[in-house]
Amino acid sequence: MAGRGVTSSVVLRQVSVDYGSVRALQGVDLEVGQGETLALLGPSGSGKTTLIHAVAGFVPLTEGEIIIDGNTVATATRSEPPDRRRVGVVFQNYALWPHLDAVDTVAYPLRRAGMGKAEARAEAARLMDRLGIGPLKKRRPSQLSGGQQQRVGLARALARRAAVYLLDEPTAHLDAEVRAAVQAEIARVRTGARAAAIHATHDAAEALALADRVVLLRAGAVVQVGTPREVYERPADLWAARLTGPASVVTAVWDGSAVAVAGVPVPAPSPTTPAGEVELLVRPDWVLPGGRLEGEVTDVFYRGTHTDHHLRTAAGSLVARLAGPPRAEPGSTGGWTLQRGWVLGGSATPDSTDS
Amino acid sequence: MARWFGSAAVLVALVGLVGIPLYHLGRVGTEELTGIGPGTLERAVAGSAIFNTAWTGLAVAVIAVAVGVWLAFVTERWHPMRSGWLRVAIMLPIVVPGFVSAMGFVGAFGTGGLGDDLVGFAIPGIFGPLGIVMVLSIEAMPLAYLIVVAALRTRAEPDLERAARVHGASGRVAATTVVLPLLAPALLGSAALVFVASINAFGAPAVLGTPAGFATVTTRIYQDLARSARPEAFSRAVLLALLLVAVALLFVLVAERLLTGMGTITRTAEPPGQVIHRCRGRRAAFVAWVVVLVATVLPLVALVLTSLTRAVGLAPVPANWTTANFAEALQGRFAGALGRSVVLSVAAAVVVMALGAAVTAIRHGRFGRLSRTAVLLTFAVPGSTLAIAILLAYGASLRGTLALILVAYVAKLWGVGHRIIEGSAAAIPPDLYRAARAGGASGWTATRTVTAPLLAPAILGGGLLVFSFAFHELTMSSLLYGPGTDTLAVVVLNLQQLGDVPVSAALAVLLTVPLLVVAIPLLVGRRRWRGGA
Repeated sequence: MAGRGVTSSVVLRQVSVDYGSVRALQGVDLEVGQGETLALLGPSGSGKTTLIHAVAGFVPLTEGEIIIDGNTVATATRSEPPDRRRVGVVFQNYALWPHLDAVDTVAYPLRRAGMGKAEARAEAARLMDRLGIGPLKKRRPSQLSGGQQQRVGLARALARRAAVYLLDEPTAHLDAEVRAAVQAEIARVRTGARAAAIHATHDAAEALALADRVVLLRAGAVVQVGTPREVYERPADLWAARLTGPASVVTAVWDGSAVAVAGVPVPAPSPTTPAGEVELLVRPDWVLPGGRLEGEVTDVFYRGTHTDHHLRTAAGSLVARLAGPPRAEPGSTGGWTLQRGWVLGGSATPDSTDS
Repeated sequence: MARWFGSAAVLVALVGLVGIPLYHLGRVGTEELTGIGPGTLERAVAGSAIFNTAWTGLAVAVIAVAVGVWLAFVTERWHPMRSGWLRVAIMLPIVVPGFVSAMGFVGAFGTGGLGDDLVGFAIPGIFGPLGIVMVLSIEAMPLAYLIVVAALRTRAEPDLERAARVHGASGRVAATTVVLPLLAPALLGSAALVFVASINAFGAPAVLGTPAGFATVTTRIYQDLARSARPEAFSRAVLLALLLVAVALLFVLVAERLLTGMGTITRTAEPPGQVIHRCRGRRAAFVAWVVVLVATVLPLVALVLTSLTRAVGLAPVPANWTTANFAEALQGRFAGALGRSVVLSVAAAVVVMALGAAVTAIRHGRFGRLSRTAVLLTFAVPGSTLAIAILLAYGASLRGTLALILVAYVAKLWGVGHRIIEGSAAAIPPDLYRAARAGGASGWTATRTVTAPLLAPAILGGGLLVFSFAFHELTMSSLLYGPGTDTLAVVVLNLQQLGDVPVSAALAVLLTVPLLVVAIPLLVGRRRWRGGA
C-alpha cells in the first residue's frame, strides 16, 4: 500500500474503450499511487491489454479521462501521443526490434530523450550490467532466449524515466522456471522505485505475489479492487474467488450470529444477508486435520511441497492442502477443522460493484 | 505411389511446358547471334524500345511502391478497424486486364473523355509514356500493397512501433528508426517485382504507346512477330525475348531473396494496431478512398459509359445512350471468340488444378521443394518470351490451333494457381494428417477425408484465379493466334487499334464484368476471413 493516498501517479476516471462495435473497457475507475504496483488480474479477453494500451496511448478513449502525474493525457476528444506520456512498457511478446542489438535497444529511450549516441550506449551498458544482462549487449533478439529477451525488454522500459511502468503479461510466454526468475527480477527493480506500475497477468499467484493492490477485471469492467489478502480472503463473488486461487464451496447455515457447516461452527466474517443457508468459500489452506467435521478422503494428490486431500463431507466437497507427504489414504474417514470461511455474495466487501 | 506419380507428372509438365520451349529459344537465339552477326544485335539494342521499357519500368516501380506503402499504412495502421471495403477496392485492378484499364483510362482522362465532359479535365499526353506509367502504376498498386501489408504484419508488427512510440519516439522518428529499416527489404523486393511486371506488360503499352509511336520491348516484339514477315524482324524479336527473360529472372530471384519468410501472415486475436489518433486515420482513409476511386473505379465507369454511347465525341448522357454496341459485340464473329476464350480458360484452370494437387502430393522432400521453386519461376518468364519459345518448340505441329494457346496458358499460369494451393497446404498443420493416421486411416483415406476437404477451397480458388487470368490474357494470345483461333482479348485489341471505340468498349465490358463477378466475392470473402481471425 506504499504511497496510496499520497500523490497518484495514474488516475483513470470512467474510462471506456470501443473496438468498432465491441466495448472492450466499461467505465473503469482506478488510481495508482507513487511507487505502488497494481496488478490487473483477469482471464483473456477481460480488457487487461486494452487498459494498458489506453494508458500507453495506443487506443483512443470512447469516454472518460486518464491523468498521468497530474497531466490529463487522454479524454474522449484529445489524446497525447505515447511518446509524450512518460510511460515505459514491457510487452507480452517482448517487441524487441530485430534490426537492433540489445545495447542499442536499451539505449533507444535515452537517445529519444536527447542523449548523444556514445553517452546513451554507456548509460545503457551500465543499466544492463546492473540487471545482470551485461554479457548480452551485442546480441540481436534472434540470438536471445525468451527469458533473456524479456530482461532486455525490462531494461528498455527502465531506461525510460517514466511516471508509470506498464507490464503486459511479461511472463506469459516463459517457462515456469524462467518465469519465476523474471518475476523475482521485476520485484527487485520495483523495490524502492518512485514510479507506479500496472502489471497485467492472468496468473493469480503472480498477481498476489508482486502487487500492492489487485484489480479483478471481467468483460472490461472492474469487479473488485483490494490488497492481495483482501481479494484472496474476501473475494466479491464466486467468479472472483475462482480467479484468485483454488476455491471450494460448501453449504453453510448462517443463523444471524454464527456460521456453521454440518453443525460445526466456522469462524467467518458476519455476512449481511438474512439468516438461512449460504454458500461458504473455503480455501484449501484453511482446512486442517483433526476436529469435529466428518469427512471421507476421496482422492489424494502428492505435489512435492504439499499434498492435496479431496474430502467429501455432508456439506459438500472440499480440498485440504497440507504441507509435506500424504496424511491419509483414499477411502479413509476422519475429523477435520475449517480454520476459517468466507460467505459468498452476501458479504460486505469493499469495492464490490458487479455480481 | 502417389508421390512417385506426382513427381513424374510435375517433371513431365515442367520439361514440356517450360524446359523444351526455353531450350529452343536459347538455341535459336545463339544461332542468330553467331550466324547473322553483330548487326542484328546492334539494331536490337540501338532501338529506343529497351531504353523506353527500362525508364518507364523504373518510374512505375517508384510510384507503385510509394502508393502501396501509403495505402498499407492507411489500412493497417492509421485506420485499421473500418478499412475492409477499402482493402477490396485497392485489390480491384488485379481483375481488370491491362488493356481494359488503359481503354478506361483514356475514356476517363483523355481528350473528350468523362473528365473533360464533366469538369474540363484531361491529361495531356495520355497517349505516350505518361499514360503508360500511370496505368501500369495503377495495375501494379495491388502487388506492392499486398507485399507491404505482409511485411507490416510479419516484420513490423504493431508492438514494435508501439515500443518505439512509448519509449520516446515521435511518429516520424519511430518511422525512420524502426518501421522503415524493418520494411526496407520488402520495399526493395516489391519494387523489383513491380519492375518485372511493368517490363513484361503488353496491354497498356499497346493501347497507349503504339498510337503515339512510343515502343516498348513487348510491343516491339509484337510488331516484329505479328505485323512483319522480314527475317531480321524475327531475329530481333528472339533476341529481345531473351533479354526480357534474363532481366525478369534476375530481378525475380533478387526479390525472392529479399522477401523470403514473408509468405506466411500470422494474425493475433487482437485488432490491428492503431498507433495514432483516429482523426488523422479518418482523414487518411478518406484521401485513400478518393485516390482509389479515381484511379480504378472511374476508368471502369468511363468504359461502361463509352460502350453505351452511340459514337465517340457525344456526351455520355442518357439521350445518347444505345444498346447497339452490345448487339454488335454479341454478333457471330465476336461470339466465336468469346466461346474460344471460355473453353481455353476452363481447360487451363482444370489442368492447373490437377497439377497443383500433384505438386501438393510431393511437397515434402527435396524434389518437392525444387519443383515448387521451378513452378513459381514459370510466372516470372515474360509472356512475350514464353509465347515465342512455345512457337519455336511446338509451332511446327500446333501452329494455328487452340492447343498451342492452351500450352502457353498452362505454362504461364501454373505458378499463379500453384501459389494459392501451396499456401493453403502449408497452412494445414501436419498433425491433422498424423491424427487421422493415428486414428486408423490409411494414407489414402487420410488424404481423402482430411487433407483433401481442407485443400478443396484453395484448389477451387486457384482454379478461379487461373480462369480469370486466362480469360483476359492478351500478350501470348496476340502472338500465338491464327485464323479462327483469335480469343476475345485479341479481338478487343484489334478492334480498338482499328479505331472502333464504342464496340471495343462494349466487348471490353463483356470481358471484364464476368471477372468482377467472380473476383469480388473472392476478395470480400478473403476480407471476411481476415477480419474474423
